[in-house]
Amino acid sequence: MLNHFTYFKPQTESELLEKVKSYGDDTKILAGGTDLLIYMKQGITAPKVLIDVKGISEYSKIVTASDGSISIGASVTCNEVIENECINKHFPVLVEAAKTLGSYQLRNRATVIGNICNASPAADMAGPLLVLGALVIIGNDSGGREILLKDFFIGFKKNILKVDEFVKAIKVPAYFRDAKSGYLKSSRIKGHDLGICNVAMCRVNGTLKVAVGSCAVTPVLLPDFESDRAGTKFVIEAAMNNINPISDIRSSKEYRKHMVKVFIKRLLEKGNSH
Amino acid sequence: MLEFLHDDLAILSVKEGCGEGECGACTVMLDNKPVNSCLILAVEADGTSIRTVEGEVKDGKLSPLQESFKKNHATQCGFCTPGMIMSAQSLLERNPKPNEEEIKEAIEGNFCRCTGYRQIIDAIFEVTKNAK
Ligand code: FES
Ligand code: FES
Repeated sequence: MLNHFTYFKPQTESELLEKVKSYGDDTKILAGGTDLLIYMKQGITAPKVLIDVKGISEYSKIVTASDGSISIGASVTCNEVIENECINKHFPVLVEAAKTLGSYQLRNRATVIGNICNASPAADMAGPLLVLGALVIIGNDSGGREILLKDFFIGFKKNILKVDEFVKAIKVPAYFRDAKSGYLKSSRIKGHDLGICNVAMCRVNGTLKVAVGSCAVTPVLLPDFESDRAGTKFVIEAAMNNINPISDIRSSKEYRKHMVKVFIKRLLEKGNSH
Repeated sequence: MLEFLHDDLAILSVKEGCGEGECGACTVMLDNKPVNSCLILAVEADGTSIRTVEGEVKDGKLSPLQESFKKNHATQCGFCTPGMIMSAQSLLERNPKPNEEEIKEAIEGNFCRCTGYRQIIDAIFEVTKNAK
């Protein structure tokens, strides 16, 4: 059973701002609902106010700017990313990762921004967006702000948003267009389960960027590598120094570490053969 | 939305298995896209059209997919069937000639604890043979 709540569906961003401001603390933003409704059913959260952002038309769009950067709006679903031509062509690692998230019908609701906002260490979209230098576009009463995704995650399922803030979109800079990239994930079964661990990688203009998921309280972006120095051993060592996996129902910490090593090796090999 | 469809509107094909987006027994089409109705508020569906398996029967006749399920013994207890049909029907509308891998991907969010999936995949596959 769900708790009682008031539901709003603003049609414009200014209406959304006003609602977020007046209800503050007791509010949850509703986009796909595929995590939020589970939390509400389980009693983990019991918001008094739900604000559905699906009524705001700008938020449902994937926009390619004239400089070649893309921005993904707050209510864009994973399947919309998978079907988007520009993302397939120029930022394919986002498609690769989105395909591993849940099932087809879940991806028709689950949003990229929701996946990021929940700040789960296992978030499938986090690693690829981290290595693509993504920026989080935040809305608030004082004109909004932008921060790097790597500064957005601040703890286990915690993000940096203040009570009266929300995410409008996530932007991937043109700099990362057509970068060689890849995503590998291990899970007990395909779909339906959080991953055991995942690694995302991207090479851009002589720099190698690597992110590791499900191996610390947040998704982790490793410090950048100069590509010509980044041998497999070196990258693995850096990864081991930056992650701190736990053992849980899905996997032991040793297995997680092992799979991270394997994935780094595979992704590097794949990158080098291009 | 699941509760609303099943309890208030008595559309009994829409079933609750897990209530958490895992099993797919609650799958319906919302504006022609399959979704887990257990993870959607009824109010979110305002202004949309919802298709359930009841609507697949036209003039008292089963759809080709339903006929194929019957013929291929793709239903045993039947609990997963309505959701399975909606996922499969949606696949066939997106892609009338899917291969086996695509069929499996499309129904990966629908659990069946009886058939072992083989008959279901065969049933979907048989419909594609008649597709143009
Ligand atoms: S009841 Fe909705 S997915 Fe199981
Ligand atoms: S027929 Fe029983 S669960 Fe599929």
